[in-house]
Amino acid sequence: MSRAVPGPEDRHAQNRGTDSGGTTPGCAEAVVTPPRPAGRALAALAGLRAPVVWILLAIAFFTSISGKPVDGVLMLIVAAGLAWDAGRRALRHPGPEGAPARTGPLPARRRRFVVIALVAAGVAYAGVVGSFSRYSWPATAGIIGLSTVVVLIGWHGPVRSRPVGGRLPVAGTLAWIAVLVAGCLWELGALLQQPSITTDSYAHPTISTLTDPVLAASPGRAVVLLGWLALGWYLVER
Amino acid sequence: MSSHDVTIAVYLVVLALIVLLQVLATRTRAPIPSLGDMLTRAMRSRTGRVGVLVAWAWIGLHFFAR
Repeated sequence: MSRAVPGPEDRHAQNRGTDSGGTTPGCAEAVVTPPRPAGRALAALAGLRAPVVWILLAIAFFTSISGKPVDGVLMLIVAAGLAWDAGRRALRHPGPEGAPARTGPLPARRRRFVVIALVAAGVAYAGVVGSFSRYSWPATAGIIGLSTVVVLIGWHGPVRSRPVGGRLPVAGTLAWIAVLVAGCLWELGALLQQPSITTDSYAHPTISTLTDPVLAASPGRAVVLLGWLALGWYLVER
Repeated sequence: MSSHDVTIAVYLVVLALIVLLQVLATRTRAPIPSLGDMLTRAMRSRTGRVGVLVAWAWIGLHFFAR
C-alpha cells in the first residue's frame, strides 16, 4: 500500500541527517540513538500524559476485578503499548500526533468488490463465532483475533484520508458528553447495586443483564456480532 | 413503578436523547455535531483512534469472550 501523504517517518527516510552517514543534510532531530532503559522509561512516562491511557488502565482494573482477567490483561497490554508509543513519538516529534492516511479512495468497481468480500466474510464470521457458546474459548479466540487485527490496523493510521473538519460546536459537544456520561453513570450505578459485581440483579439490571436473553441463542449472537462488526468497520473507516 | 422499571426507563431515556441529538445534528441546523463527527474528531490522533477501537474491541470481549 502506498501512502497518500508522506509522514514524518517517510520524510526522515529520505533525509537521513548528517549524523547517520547520509549525504543529505537536515532532519537532524530524526536521528535517534538506540533508547537506553532510562530513555524507554522516560518515553513511557511521557506517554502517560495521554488521557486514553488512563482510561484503558481504569478499564483494565475494573474488568479484572469483575471476573474477566483476560480482558483486563489485554487492556493493560494496549495501555502500556500506547503509553510507550505516545511517549516515544512525543520525545521524537513534539507537537500534535497523528498519522497520514495509507490509501487514497479506491476506484468504485474495486471498492464494490472489496465491500462485497468484506460483507461475505463478516456474515461467515458472525455465523461461525455466533454458533459458539458465550465465554467459550473458541468464541474468545475469535473475538480476540479480530479485535487484535482491527486495533493494529487503527494503530498504523487511518485507512482513508478524510478532510480535517473545523472545531466542533462547544455546546453541542457538551450535550453529547453529558448524555453519554449520564448513561455510563447509570450503568455503573446498576452494576454497583448488584448483590456482587459478578451476580446479576433483577431490580437493577445492567445493559449486559438485559441483553442476556438475546445472546442466549445462536441466531441472536450472530445478529449482535454482525452489528459489532459493522460498527468496527465504520470506525476503521473514520 | 418498580426499581427494575425505573432502571430500564432511564436507559430508554438515554437512548432517546442519543437519537434526538443525532437527528438534531443531521436534520437541522442546530450547532450540534453528529456522533460521526465526534468520533472522527476523537480519532484524529493516534491515541484517540486506538482508544476508540479498543473500546469497540472491549464490547466484543465483554459480551462474548471469557
